[in-house]
Amino acid sequence: MAFAFEFFLRRLSQGVVIVVLVAFVIFTLLRVVPGDPIRIILGPMTPASVLEETARALGLRDPILVQFGRFMGEVATGDLGRSFIRGLQGGSAGGSQDVAGYSPESRASVAGLIATALPYSLQLAGLGVAFALLVAFPIGIAAGLRAGRWPDRLGLYASSFFVSLPNIWVAVVLIFLLSAKAGLLPAIGYQGFAYTIIPAMVLAIELSPVMIRAISVAVAANLGEAYYDAGIVRGLSRRTMVARHVLRNAAVPLLNLFGAQMIGMLLGGLFVVEYIFSYPGIGMLTISAVFQRDFPVIQAVAILASGVLVAINMLVDFASTMIDRRLKF
Amino acid sequence: MTISTVGSGMTPSPAPAPGRPRGVTARILRRAWGYGEMKAAAFLFVALALLTVLGPLVIDASATKISVADKFLPPLFMEGGRLPHVLGTDQLGRDLLLRSLVGLRNAFAIGLTSVVGMFVLGCAIGIYAGYRGGWVDVLLMRLTDVQMSIPVIILAITILGVSRPNPASIIAVLVLASWPVYARVSRGVALAERQKEYVRAARIIGASDLRIMVRHIAPSILPPIAFVAVLDVARMMIFEAIFGFIGIGIQPPTPTFGTIISAGTQYLINAWWITIVPGVLLALALGSLNLMGGVLERARNYILQGGA
Amino acid sequence: MALGSPPVPRPEAPLMEVRGLSVAVQTASGPRPVLEGVSLTVAPRAVLGIIGESGSGKTVLSRALVNWIRPPLAVTAGTVRYGGEDLLALPEARMAALRGREIAYIGANPTSALDPTVPVGHQLVEKLCAVLPGTARRDARARVVATLDAVRIPSPAKRFEEYPFQFSGGMMQRALIVDALVSNPRLLIADNITQPLDVTVAAQILRLLRELQKEFATAVVFISSALGIVSEIADDVIVLDRGRVVEERPTGALLRSPEHAYTRELIAKVPRIWSGAARPPPPADTDVVLDVRDVERTYEVRDRSAIFATRRVRAVRGVSFTVRRGENFAIIGESGCGKSTLSRLLSCLEAPDRGQILFQGTDIATLGGRDLLALRRRFQLLLQDPYNAIAAHSAIGATIAEPLRIHGLVPRRHLRARVAEVMAEVGLAPALYDQLPAGLSAGQRQRVNIARALVLEPEMLILDETLSALDQVEQAKLLDLFERLQTRRGISYVYISHDLAMVRRVSARIAVMYLGRIVELSGNHALFARASHPYTRALLSAVPTVEDKPYPTATYLLEGEPPDPIDIPPGCSFRTRCPFAFGRCATDDPALLATGPDGVGRACHRDADDLPAVVPPAAGQGGGARQAEGAEAP
Repeated sequence: MAFAFEFFLRRLSQGVVIVVLVAFVIFTLLRVVPGDPIRIILGPMTPASVLEETARALGLRDPILVQFGRFMGEVATGDLGRSFIRGLQGGSAGGSQDVAGYSPESRASVAGLIATALPYSLQLAGLGVAFALLVAFPIGIAAGLRAGRWPDRLGLYASSFFVSLPNIWVAVVLIFLLSAKAGLLPAIGYQGFAYTIIPAMVLAIELSPVMIRAISVAVAANLGEAYYDAGIVRGLSRRTMVARHVLRNAAVPLLNLFGAQMIGMLLGGLFVVEYIFSYPGIGMLTISAVFQRDFPVIQAVAILASGVLVAINMLVDFASTMIDRRLKF
Repeated sequence: MTISTVGSGMTPSPAPAPGRPRGVTARILRRAWGYGEMKAAAFLFVALALLTVLGPLVIDASATKISVADKFLPPLFMEGGRLPHVLGTDQLGRDLLLRSLVGLRNAFAIGLTSVVGMFVLGCAIGIYAGYRGGWVDVLLMRLTDVQMSIPVIILAITILGVSRPNPASIIAVLVLASWPVYARVSRGVALAERQKEYVRAARIIGASDLRIMVRHIAPSILPPIAFVAVLDVARMMIFEAIFGFIGIGIQPPTPTFGTIISAGTQYLINAWWITIVPGVLLALALGSLNLMGGVLERARNYILQGGA
Repeated sequence: MALGSPPVPRPEAPLMEVRGLSVAVQTASGPRPVLEGVSLTVAPRAVLGIIGESGSGKTVLSRALVNWIRPPLAVTAGTVRYGGEDLLALPEARMAALRGREIAYIGANPTSALDPTVPVGHQLVEKLCAVLPGTARRDARARVVATLDAVRIPSPAKRFEEYPFQFSGGMMQRALIVDALVSNPRLLIADNITQPLDVTVAAQILRLLRELQKEFATAVVFISSALGIVSEIADDVIVLDRGRVVEERPTGALLRSPEHAYTRELIAKVPRIWSGAARPPPPADTDVVLDVRDVERTYEVRDRSAIFATRRVRAVRGVSFTVRRGENFAIIGESGCGKSTLSRLLSCLEAPDRGQILFQGTDIATLGGRDLLALRRRFQLLLQDPYNAIAAHSAIGATIAEPLRIHGLVPRRHLRARVAEVMAEVGLAPALYDQLPAGLSAGQRQRVNIARALVLEPEMLILDETLSALDQVEQAKLLDLFERLQTRRGISYVYISHDLAMVRRVSARIAVMYLGRIVELSGNHALFARASHPYTRALLSAVPTVEDKPYPTATYLLEGEPPDPIDIPPGCSFRTRCPFAFGRCATDDPALLATGPDGVGRACHRDADDLPAVVPPAAGQGGGARQAEGAEAP
């Protein structure tokens, strides 16, 4: 199909540009902030001559553009570099172990670190989104169908309530109530699927208000469209109109929301929640990388995150244009 | 649904009927004020605001002074609580109510300032992109794509985590991370307004592009986007708390919700109120803002869909 | 209530009886009546016309007939009896069983009546299966394709899979007529169904509805604001004025001898093209103000069916004309003929791809900055839509003063006085100066719009459908205003419009556009009395009027729709719909040949004498209408 081909060609090329730009911004940012990475790699005890020599050998004294070019070349071949800090076993190698010099081979590969952490994050994100949808769909649709009546108010209250709960606080409260007091579920770390449940609930509480609002607005807006009333006067039942037409049309703004806003929120929420619960996913990996100034990990995660966002936005836009043929791309 | 009886009267009347609400913004506010929820939320918000101002004057305690003798005092409503510590004290004996109120004030200041910043920056870029169209539009919108595809938290921990955070840098990070939302919405409005006849009419009488953007398009941005700004103040306050929690927010000893909650987690079993009670206060403040935002959104939808 | 004796006795029981129906709208200041004590009777197989101006409550009435009254509207009294039951009292489930099955409804807005995301054919099948349970989808599909074909929708199998936005208004309305009649209902409510359509397409729809009404023996309630249209189809007519029935008569009798004052007023308001006297065209100077030379404008749209391909929409294709000082020039045509593009080019918002637009000898496309600003002062354009052309957030005085501020023509302290002067000139109360436009009527808004243009004292005004949203009385007042200004200031006007009656009344010369071209350019009287292009005649034959036309509808009624401006057929672009096309038309594109002074000419291979003879219009009927209106004007 010519349309799909052109669409993906166009969007993929734009997407690559965006990801490279994001990578460049993050890459530059990490190199202009105070703090010399070579000190982080080798530790504070290393003599200055060794520092300088290793930095030169690693190419850290080259202009940023040259470094970036080299980095992107490696990324293109699938090599995301090696951690400054983490050893092959995954633990922090710390600077002082190899004062004499630095061999990149002794450090864990970033791709490997991400590959280990990713499944945990996906599991948490999946469960969180599932919980959120479970809450948001019934409330959102009911609120949209009965605008101005009690389900609508319920939707307003529920979304205003959930969105007012800071995720860090909800996390602490749930740990306190469900784990510490009631002992129903484990909370900190990860030793099995049960450890995902409370973090997923926190994520769901963060995501569901946005979903409830978006769903109710989209459904209510479509009930106000001329085709809805016209359909009923044409002899179609309310149920048919809602199930076949209103929900279909409402899907377009919802898909866009899920693409543009929700994935960003989900990623952000994931980082915070994983940090609070010491959950061994990408977020935990990144936040500890920030505190340890483990730049290769940070930039790899940033590139990955923007790549995922770009890909999901592309798919969402494609789905939208397939549903509503009037949309341009 | 259009009704042929409304808005199409052809007989010229000397002046609009008296008492009729005027501009779109005024009509939205009027409609929103009709909701009981709006009044309740506004009341709660004003009450909390007064409390943050009056609290420190009235309560005979300090938000920052360490007093080991008073540590872990429970709130008044629990056994063992005592005045002046209405909500109890933390692990260092500091008054929790005062800490919360100061934290609330700081959070609100940061939230409001950053929203004003992102609103102005985002709308300026959005209006320009939407009005100019063409490659300027494509470029600026791709820029928002880039910006939006870096999650706020990554940006924040990268910038704040490796430098020394202070209120100005926190606000800068929040503005930097969130302006694209405003740019997109205002770009959409500008694009729609540009097609409208009154903009064409303004061009025909010779109005310059700048004049049209400032005088004609900018005023149309407020009604569709005002509620987003209200909701975002609350969202930015949550971010401020998260930053504090992770340790990249306003640094101690200045009290913020993030650091209060974070410190309290260690004493959760024995002194849960250190974490839970200030959170309730924050949630109340956020709830009032979010409820107002939610009602404003409904009122906006109603008015923009043709309600009177 | 029947005041005249019906021409055909109808012994059968009535199909629908409305008694004492009242509907009110809830407003902030309490309920306001929309319909008051409306009673009417629909006989089986008859066509009942309901005529009323906008604001008369006719749409509300049509919706009440299918029990479709929603808040803020509410029925306050009365019954709608159908088959022995009061529809207004029926439970929702019973009503749902009647809607679309026994009582069908078609509204004024065909393009938004269907789900925009589902192909049209699928939605017709969905409805068919809903009203006739047990229909196999395959059979339903075949039946829908066959009926689309029967209502002359070209390549119905392909159209079946297309989306509502790909249908033109006329095609969509056909599809909806199919949709309404597919269940063979006993009653069809048609609310203003020709309103958004061009006259030639509206004429086709009317003919189609008449044919199908006979074939299916359906009773029709036909609601319209145009007496000319109602009179073509209805057996009896009800006149609705501000929510009350003022007269109910068989159509012929109503037109011949209206009894109620409002009906007479209504009939007098119907525009006359042939029987009324046109204003004498004002004497024009010989110097040319505007010279449009062979202007072209093409847009590119992305082609979804090919990779990286665009298609060229040829909106304006080589248009030339001149306007002299103090002249009234008109450009007429139906939607898609390129007149809005031409107006954008003339107002210097876009530049033509080819050709020149010379205003007093200067090519306006080459101007920029200060020169363009100076030009804008002398050359103004008034837009179509009185509701959107003025900004909702600026006070009226500020809106009118804006051009003066921009051009720096008047010192700040004299601004208010100057604006007040212009407001008085166009008939706006000075008290409106500080008000927002929210409560203004269409006529007042258009006056604000006009004042904003006049405050610059331009030499030329282009009116792009400026008066089409206004009723006849309001139109006449503004036309008088324009005439006064013309005599005082020697302004030239270019009217761009689809409203033939208005153009007939004001303009000296008229250009007829079709698919981006001028097909005929002629003096006012010559064009209406002796149109020499088949398209012009078709256009004139389709105008809904209550007078005899020199061009019988049956002879000139066009088939089909104008071709897509992307795929303009080779040869004459009108030949696909022209009843008189012959061999040469398919290969040669006729040029607009000037055959007289002032660029008068036509673009047609047929000799004007080859076309059917013009029927001389019967004199007399309603001839005093214009004078009557003129008397009302200030």
